[in-house]
Amino acid sequence: MTGSRNTVYLDYAATTPVDPRVAARMAECLTQQGAFGNPGSTSHDYGEAASALVEAARVQVAAAVGAAPADIVWTSGATEANNLALFGVANYQRESGRHMVTARTEHKAVLDPCRELERRGWRVTYLTPGRGGLLDPAQVAAALKPDTVLVSIMHVNNEIGVIQDIAAIAAVCAAHGAARLHVDAAQSIGKCPLDFAGLGLDLLSLSAHKSYGPKGAGALVVSRARGVQLEALQFGGGQERNLRSGTVATHQVVGMGAAFELASAERAAETARIALLRERLWAGLDLTGGVLRNGEPEQTAAQLLNVSFEDVEGESLLAAVRPFIAVSTGSACTSSNQEPSYVLRALGRNERLAESSLRFSLGRFTTEAEVDAAIEAVGRALTRLRRVSGSRTDR
Amino acid sequence: MNYSNLTRRHFDNPVCAGVLGGATVRRGAAGSRAQGTWVQFDVQIGLRDQESTVAAVRFLAYACPHVIAVADWVAQQAVDSPAAPVLPESVHSLRERFEVPIEKLGRLFIVEDAWIAALSSPYREISA
Repeated sequence: MTGSRNTVYLDYAATTPVDPRVAARMAECLTQQGAFGNPGSTSHDYGEAASALVEAARVQVAAAVGAAPADIVWTSGATEANNLALFGVANYQRESGRHMVTARTEHKAVLDPCRELERRGWRVTYLTPGRGGLLDPAQVAAALKPDTVLVSIMHVNNEIGVIQDIAAIAAVCAAHGAARLHVDAAQSIGKCPLDFAGLGLDLLSLSAHKSYGPKGAGALVVSRARGVQLEALQFGGGQERNLRSGTVATHQVVGMGAAFELASAERAAETARIALLRERLWAGLDLTGGVLRNGEPEQTAAQLLNVSFEDVEGESLLAAVRPFIAVSTGSACTSSNQEPSYVLRALGRNERLAESSLRFSLGRFTTEAEVDAAIEAVGRALTRLRRVSGSRTDR
Repeated sequence: MNYSNLTRRHFDNPVCAGVLGGATVRRGAAGSRAQGTWVQFDVQIGLRDQESTVAAVRFLAYACPHVIAVADWVAQQAVDSPAAPVLPESVHSLRERFEVPIEKLGRLFIVEDAWIAALSSPYREISA
């Protein structure tokens, strides 16, 4: 897929375009002829129609992750879902324990709430994964304490794509008995199978816009079967089992439901196709020399490729490829106040390599021609920048 | 980050990138790759009307686009000027000319330090 400036879009992990089939379903909810009613106003047909669509979407999302429809709590996205999970458990369990476990490589939407909880008196243990990005479940077991109330570990890392062994971590939590397991699965849907009930998960955060659904829609899956209890963070209407008050945005959740249903139906074929493209991209980049692949390749989601480039300065690399490809840098910021990717730093990459890394994320609309164009653009940039820096021009 | 047209032009096509060799070339560098910014100038000195002048300049830079662009501009502008350890334009003027964010000012001083180091260095045979 190309943008208006003919740049190849390879930033699907940041967000995806809404699938036209999803957009069509959403549009049906917006206008006077559609299901525009308030889904909470079930005293008339307009509300009933909207409510029926919301509940159908709930079934679709639940089915995509192996949960019960009643477990789904709509939110504005994964960030809100993560906040509801962490603060919700912390507040509800404040008398029984004030310790949590997470990883240094989690998304900021988990790390920042953890920091805030620390300010409020909770203790948080931050685990450091191995150099490939994977946690050893034994690390989780060793970190658990008698007063641990929550373990929060992401399924697919948003920067390097490694897939954590959630089943093993769930078993560790189950053995502990008191620690709830929350999984941030914002990057997983349509890419990696996930069985919420089968794995015995307590909480699961979901996002629509990473899976060809709309921005502003997400869900927290809260296991009723496992008796998970949360304290709400917002009040005013009692929607969503009193956990998330506010009028449910029918078109948003309908879009999320449609997107998740499509993602599940097309996952096998799509991930196989994208995995081939990803390996084509890696093979092409590897030929340019001085490239290091980040994350354990055998346990990485198909859509993600994170690469560090030797002998080039990070900001210049991003600036050189920007006219041709849309990718994310490993650096959180490209001002002089550079903060290299904390994920790559946690995995042991030095500061320079962490800065000169690019995250390529492929998606439903990525083509072979686009991958080849990206390889060419990166190759040109590397040749030029290495010539300018006087390093490794003989590659 | 957005860059000015001038920055983008010199960054995309740094015509003075490279090295010079010979007995009339002075070389100086500043900064460090490990710290993220390193610049080297090779300055070929000529004589005109009994005065030492800059005959040619080449630079190498492991740096952000702003620094590469400024180094390339300096290398072009310095030709035919007196061979003195003074930039063709002050660091602050360069910052304005290239619309460099204020927080990057320190990086421009590395360009200046490299220029001063080159023009202050003794002659010695340099192989290109």
